[in-house]
Amino acid sequence: MTAAEARASFFRRSLAVCGKDAAQELRRRIAVASVLFFAAASLTLVSFAIGPFGLPPEARERVCSALLWVLLFFSAATGLPRAFVREEESGTALALRLVAPATAVLAGKTLFNFVLFAAIAAVTAPAFALLLGWRIGSIGAFAAVLALGGLGLSIVSTFLSALVARASQKSVLFVVISFPLLAPLLLPAIAATVSASSGEIPWTALRVLVAYDGAAACGAYLLAGAAWEE
Amino acid sequence: MRVELEAADLSKSYAGRRVFAGLALSASEGLVAVAGPNGSGKTTFLKILAGLLRPDSGSVRVRRGGADLSGDARRQAIGWAGPDLSFYEDLTAEENLDFFRRAAGRRADPAAVGRSLAEVGLADAARLHVGAFSTGMKQRLRIAFATLFDAPILLLDEPMNGLDAAGREMVSEVVAARRREGAVVLASNDPRDLSGADAVVEIAPARARLTRGTP
Repeated sequence: MTAAEARASFFRRSLAVCGKDAAQELRRRIAVASVLFFAAASLTLVSFAIGPFGLPPEARERVCSALLWVLLFFSAATGLPRAFVREEESGTALALRLVAPATAVLAGKTLFNFVLFAAIAAVTAPAFALLLGWRIGSIGAFAAVLALGGLGLSIVSTFLSALVARASQKSVLFVVISFPLLAPLLLPAIAATVSASSGEIPWTALRVLVAYDGAAACGAYLLAGAAWEE
Repeated sequence: MRVELEAADLSKSYAGRRVFAGLALSASEGLVAVAGPNGSGKTTFLKILAGLLRPDSGSVRVRRGGADLSGDARRQAIGWAGPDLSFYEDLTAEENLDFFRRAAGRRADPAAVGRSLAEVGLADAARLHVGAFSTGMKQRLRIAFATLFDAPILLLDEPMNGLDAAGREMVSEVVAARRREGAVVLASNDPRDLSGADAVVEIAPARARLTRGTP
């Protein structure tokens, strides 16, 4: 097999895994429902507690940026770790291990998680801005920060899902391990969101996010086999 | 060119308890029966052969023309079905097999999936969700999964479990056809399933011995 054929095969397999996860989710809607319920509940509580007039204007951008990412992080933490856990719990992991390499499975599940995150962000971020009266100065930069932050969150969450899938205390373990790994992503993402909401393009923070995503993707690719295979 | 499965000096322990040790097998054609009482490690042995478990010691090699196979070539040289094999219950039988084909890097081929399901008598249930399958239908689907890629080495762990007379006959036909083209390694507690084997590997706790044939 040539390198080009191997690449094409890798993408086909990853898309197959992503498509299968999407088909299952469309039929069961467990992850989407739990994630959206968590996001809606958090959003309602925050908007009632703070509302559009509860924040001094000078603090609005910082507090809203931090709250948005806290909301996205915990929303993601309720849904994204299901990626591999569901395969282990339903016993389908054995069949999947027999037919596909861990890297292709990880890539497919990361892609599905990114699509799920994008759906959450597409609903949550505008609702959050509307309910808190938060004006975003640069929509393009804001979208780029969400996309890069979401990609990093998806890569790391999916990898950790593979890592904790066979552990006994999966949820606790996931949150405990994910925080130190995701803090270097969330801090520049929050800083970049503050800049984007004030109308600036946060080039430095965006570069940090790109670097984080690249490093996370390389790490996950190299360690996929060790994390998921026997 | 024949594919050879060679296992040498395999041992495995769980939680400090040795399941078996010194297990060896060599198969490239015919039927190799794996016998032993409950708990002797037949399932573990077949999972190690399939690459689903790592042995504590020893090695498993899959070779074609003297060259070791690895990665996809190795994965697709072995078909496995065992009691632990489960499917996506919210997908249909057809969708399950189609997904596994594409996850294995093959192009979608509804005709091939249809043939696999027909071979195990599930043609009429192709569009039923697996969650609605009976125990016997799931067992048939396991056999269809194991033979999906026409792997030259077929590992079947208790393949008759939950099957009616027609299902047992179907498995016997699959085994008869596959043992002519390659090797079938079949583990069972029922001596009827192992009759006509070319070689028998008998596993007793912490040891294994060849009782017949040349594994």
